[in-house]
Amino acid sequence: MAETNAVAQAPTKSGASSPATSSNVVIETRNLSKDYRDFWGRKKVSALKSLDIEVRQGEIFGLLGPNGSGKSTTIKLILGLLFPTSGRVLVFDKDATETSKNERIGYLPEESYLYKFLTTDETLDFYGRLFNLSGAERKRRVDHLVNLVGLQNARHRQLREYSKGMTRRVGLAQALINDPDLILLDEPTTGLDPIGTREMKDLILNLRDQGKTVLLCSHQLADVQDVCDRVAILHQGELKELGRVSELLKVQDVTEVHARGLSEAAKEEIAQVIRRHGGTVESIDNPTTTMEDLFLNIVRESDRRPGARRVSSTGSDAAGPGVKN
Amino acid sequence: MTLQPEDFWSFTEWLLRPKAFLESALLQGIVLVVLAIVLGLLVGYVISAVRYGPGEGFYAVARAVRDFLRLDLPGTSARRIWALARLAFKEAIRRRVLVVVGLFVVGLLFAGWYLDPRSSDPARLYISFVLTATNYLILMLALFISTFSLPADIKNRTIYTIVTKPVRASEIVLGRVIGFVGVGTLMLVPMGIASYFFVTRGLRHDHEVADIKDLGGGRFEGKTSYDQFHEHTFTMDSPETPGGAPLGITDMVRGHQHVVRQIDGKYYIDDPEGALRARVPSYGELVFTNREGVLQAAGIDVGNEKMPGGYGSAGVARLVGVTSGPRRLEHGYMEGGTLGSGIFTFSDVTKARYPNEGGVPMEMALRAYRSIKGDIVSGLNGSITLRNPDNKQIESTPSTFVVQEYEIVEESLRLEMEGTDGTQTRKLSLFDDLVTADGRLTVIIKCLDSEQYLGMSVSNVYLRPAESSFAWNLTKSYVSIWLQMVMIIAFGVMFSTFLSGSVAMVATFVCVLLGFAAEQVYDIRYYMDKGEAMGGGPVESMVRLLRQDAMTTELDVDSVANKVIKAVDSIAIYTLDAIATSLPNLPKMVGTAEYAASGFDILDRCWLAMQSPRLAM
Repeated sequence: MAETNAVAQAPTKSGASSPATSSNVVIETRNLSKDYRDFWGRKKVSALKSLDIEVRQGEIFGLLGPNGSGKSTTIKLILGLLFPTSGRVLVFDKDATETSKNERIGYLPEESYLYKFLTTDETLDFYGRLFNLSGAERKRRVDHLVNLVGLQNARHRQLREYSKGMTRRVGLAQALINDPDLILLDEPTTGLDPIGTREMKDLILNLRDQGKTVLLCSHQLADVQDVCDRVAILHQGELKELGRVSELLKVQDVTEVHARGLSEAAKEEIAQVIRRHGGTVESIDNPTTTMEDLFLNIVRESDRRPGARRVSSTGSDAAGPGVKN
Repeated sequence: MTLQPEDFWSFTEWLLRPKAFLESALLQGIVLVVLAIVLGLLVGYVISAVRYGPGEGFYAVARAVRDFLRLDLPGTSARRIWALARLAFKEAIRRRVLVVVGLFVVGLLFAGWYLDPRSSDPARLYISFVLTATNYLILMLALFISTFSLPADIKNRTIYTIVTKPVRASEIVLGRVIGFVGVGTLMLVPMGIASYFFVTRGLRHDHEVADIKDLGGGRFEGKTSYDQFHEHTFTMDSPETPGGAPLGITDMVRGHQHVVRQIDGKYYIDDPEGALRARVPSYGELVFTNREGVLQAAGIDVGNEKMPGGYGSAGVARLVGVTSGPRRLEHGYMEGGTLGSGIFTFSDVTKARYPNEGGVPMEMALRAYRSIKGDIVSGLNGSITLRNPDNKQIESTPSTFVVQEYEIVEESLRLEMEGTDGTQTRKLSLFDDLVTADGRLTVIIKCLDSEQYLGMSVSNVYLRPAESSFAWNLTKSYVSIWLQMVMIIAFGVMFSTFLSGSVAMVATFVCVLLGFAAEQVYDIRYYMDKGEAMGGGPVESMVRLLRQDAMTTELDVDSVANKVIKAVDSIAIYTLDAIATSLPNLPKMVGTAEYAASGFDILDRCWLAMQSPRLAM
């Protein structure tokens, strides 16, 4: 299955616990704090308290947390959209408030704040111009990105006619127009259907494979689990947990065995072996698939054979399609 | 239309003001730029000092300046500015602002119903209508598009996708301004073209020949039909060459006349001429003589002849407190039937400049002041004498004219005339005898009716070397509107960077109002400086209103209250004065419409002068 592959890949990709050297640190926050104040300068809320994180070259770093935990504030501080109350943010070893760092950054905002009166082509062309790209270069990249996000058929329509998912794709395309080294994604999967979500996740992994650094923040835990190498969990502006996803999630004293084609007798025998070694059998069961897998399978099947209605054969492996005409 | 002294300055004079450098436009421009920078730094420091403390605040400002010079300025890219300009342009277009042009055209269609064709000068009415309509429409539009766009971006957070690209704040602002100017231009051009056709077509009309009488000897006299609420009379002459068709011209009615021609026994009347003009005046210098014939700088003041307006570009002189009264043009009068006269000396009167066989065209817009009622219907009589400025013996015989008040008297200085060279009376040649070698000519104007007065200022009598085309003159008026628009857009975008849309609009609007009211503010300050009781500043005026005191009495309150009121007022007025001085002189700019409407060529030099500071902004 795709997800498990992704998680399994992660440790092998960027050496499990290589110490960060300054050369491969892309984002570094030092004692970063942000207070929001009202008009009179009185402190209203402390959105971020003494955050210290490092994001390394070529990893997917997730910022996790409930609403109002400081995720978006952190991203805005990294982008230089906000000034820190104290502490510093370094992006590519430069202060985050320097405009020149933006040359190497792609940013997908929380909602796609794009100009609704522009078409996809115009939008991408416009953002390309902001990066001072030449006409030929812009055309090449716009074509490439429109294909990448799958908007070939809608590229001459104004964004006001787009669905939320389509706007999101345009947003992603504009974030990639400058072929950035660092990509900041604020809630990348909100508003996307499961297929869109899957594609977004694959794209993020793909970007990482191209050696790019991705920082994403989300409260869709499944997304984070699927794609992130490392996560930081924030709550009320404080860093609560930081580490590799694979290590954070591993339940140390539980063993999982997946096997196919075992008889009831064989299962009983395995249970006995476990008991003999002093272990406790908690359950021996057929695994259930996720709703996401079920959904994706149905849609793929329907794409392949339009008009067919799929009825799952009860009792058998739900992932294996049984088709009835 | 009365011109002010500054209208006679050349562009260099205006820019440098050789004898009064404090009033020079150049200095004013430099001071304003420096002032803006200093003020910006100061405000920036105060804000960051409040936020980070005095020491840190200073470094923050210093860093901002350093980054601006080191990174932002060299990093500014034309392609980015252009992209942002195109965005602003597209935004406005896709929000259908061009509908305003449609509204304008519809407005024009209906305007035809309300502009009275019975007016004595329909051309003036039509032109001033289209120019005023365009001007206010465009200024309002500039106000709206420029102030709402950036705040909307900030509110929608679309600005996030812009500022996270390598874009400088200066590029965003500049891009907006250029984009909106593009939109405005796109609207102004069709409006201008529509106006041109509206005016030319609106004034075009036909007459038929209603009545014609053969006077014999190839002369005809006739009357046209009654169309567009008027009729003409005309005379026709057969040309001396046999077989040529008789040709004539009608009299001047409502600012125009028609050519009448006879072709194959039929009479045709051409389209109206002379309604749409662009006179190019050549002004002279004016001195007066009193009733004993003694030279004087000013004529008799018959009261209330001081035209309001005319502080003009007093420049930095105002800011540093060298206050002067209004530089106003006054009409001087001379008494009829005495030796009193107005003496104009024109320069550059040459054959090359005035090639017309009929003579040198001169126009006079004189005022009449009657100390006895007399015959109120007929005008006052005056006389014109030409004189050689170097040899005062050479003088023409006076020719008479009649002044109809509020009408321009058109005269032609003939090339040959009766006169005296001091020793004998003979035929004088205008260019050989009366005009000096360096092209100067003196024209003496006298009033002939005793106990009546004729009044004039430098701008009232002028020679007319050329006529410019009406279309080009209208274009110049439109360029003037365009420049006002650029300015308002610049102000609007500036305010919208830190204010919300509606507040930015009000702020820009207040600046425009202050620009229009600048002269009033100058007046109040002038009276304050002079210590003259003239109503005082805002607080004093309010007190006077409530107490129902007259404007010119001393303010009758106890001395402490008086001091407080005066102090508050002077702070308010000096601040307003400083702001108004740094704002462009809008009434002056709007005034260019008056030129076109009165059929004067907009003077290139003063046009240029008005516009330069705006371009620099």
